[in-house]
Amino acid sequence: MEYVSPEGLRIDGRRPMEMRKLQAEIGVVAKADGSAVFEMGNTKVIAAVYGPREVQNRSQQLNDQALVRCEYSMANFSTGDRMRKPKGDRRSTEISLVIRQTMEACILTQLMPRSQIDIYVQVLQADGGTRSACINAATLALADAGIPMRDFVTSCSAGYLNSTPLLDLNYVEDSAGGPDVTIGILPKLDKVTLLQVPSDRIICQAFFMS
Amino acid sequence: MNGLSLGEKLFVQGGIAQDLRSDGRKRLTYRPIYVETGVIPQANGSARVRMGGTDVIASVKAEIGRPSPLQPNKGKVSIYVDCSPTAAPVFEGRGAEELSTELSVALQRCLLGGKSGAGAGIDLSSLIVVEGKVCWDLYIDGLVVSSDGNLLDALGAAIKAALSNTGIPRVHVAAEASGEDQPELDISDEEFLQFDTSEVPVIVTLTKVGRHYIVDATLDEESEMSSALSVSINRKGLICGLTKRGGAGLDPSVVLDMISVAKHVSEQLTDRLDSEISAAEAVEEE
Repeated sequence: MEYVSPEGLRIDGRRPMEMRKLQAEIGVVAKADGSAVFEMGNTKVIAAVYGPREVQNRSQQLNDQALVRCEYSMANFSTGDRMRKPKGDRRSTEISLVIRQTMEACILTQLMPRSQIDIYVQVLQADGGTRSACINAATLALADAGIPMRDFVTSCSAGYLNSTPLLDLNYVEDSAGGPDVTIGILPKLDKVTLLQVPSDRIICQAFFMS
Repeated sequence: MNGLSLGEKLFVQGGIAQDLRSDGRKRLTYRPIYVETGVIPQANGSARVRMGGTDVIASVKAEIGRPSPLQPNKGKVSIYVDCSPTAAPVFEGRGAEELSTELSVALQRCLLGGKSGAGAGIDLSSLIVVEGKVCWDLYIDGLVVSSDGNLLDALGAAIKAALSNTGIPRVHVAAEASGEDQPELDISDEEFLQFDTSEVPVIVTLTKVGRHYIVDATLDEESEMSSALSVSINRKGLICGLTKRGGAGLDPSVVLDMISVAKHVSEQLTDRLDSEISAAEAVEEE
């Protein structure tokens, strides 16, 4: 299938290095300490942050830093076909872990010992790049909650189809089977905090260089 | 559970007794309702309803299925509710299961009528494509994004709005496939059928705090409740479903009194909801 037309346009009319339309709103969940909605094209996620607060499970308490927890969940209606068992599958556990590790790296956890920060991300619509959207939403929600951070993590995905590198894949491009990476960076510190490449995809070095 | 101090509890109770609640409302006033339709483009219909700090999304998805052999001339509708942990940390993991099930069952009772499908707010026979063979299965999913009390009324309103936003594709059945064969279907992606949602009831929950009852209770007020009665009433003023929650018992005369109050409140609520829904659809069409 042709993902990039001879004129250099993608299926949804974008150029290879063009992102989808971004939209964000802060303070959407009234009861949470911080919250945000983040949209990348048709992908839409909500993140809510509770804390820093008392550790709920004493045995998990850390005496030198804050405990960061994360739960990722997808709404039944978020995918094209209706999902039946949205909770606690392997994929969501893995993404929860990825988000937790990425956010933990940028929160100044040592400033809040013996406390807990909960990050909940809820996917309302999935159209590729949910991981990146979740990380961006979580960053905004943490900022809204006033939690001290080293820098804002920003994340985006990229892929390689029809010998063209493509930025910010949508669902159709993501399921095409080409190589793809999800990258999270700290822009001020100029560091990479997240780099994920699914192992079932073959990548050539040239892709990374681009 | 909600962590109110004694002073706050007395303040909430005293306010209700004096018909001036902590947010300035009277006992039988709703918070402002905001409706937004078409929020989930992938669904056949969807709506988001906000009432104060309560924020819920409902979506309707239609799939082709087989009608049950006991009711060959009726489609199937199911309602599921999920409480997102964004609404409260207690909902993480399996923590929301109990509340989700309670809400799903209450909504099914209020909106879908009995087992035979009689008294349902939606005309189930309009979901039939070929009698006894093909029908539409409607999956109604509710998601609680943010919770500040009165989830049932908000979900009921969201489902009503989502249903009026729903378009079911028109299906052309290929010339009579006889016998046991599944007929060949041609699902149109241009023509859509709209539902008649004027019969879909609204849900009014009356929460009893002390000697009085209130509508549209917030989370703080719900923590002080002794019992609550949810009544679903359609436009004609007929009661479609009743659910009582909470531990304390209610005197039968109080129940009758509550029902007549709920009926009165439902008239205003239906009108307000209908005007909000049509306003939301006008915005979406622009």
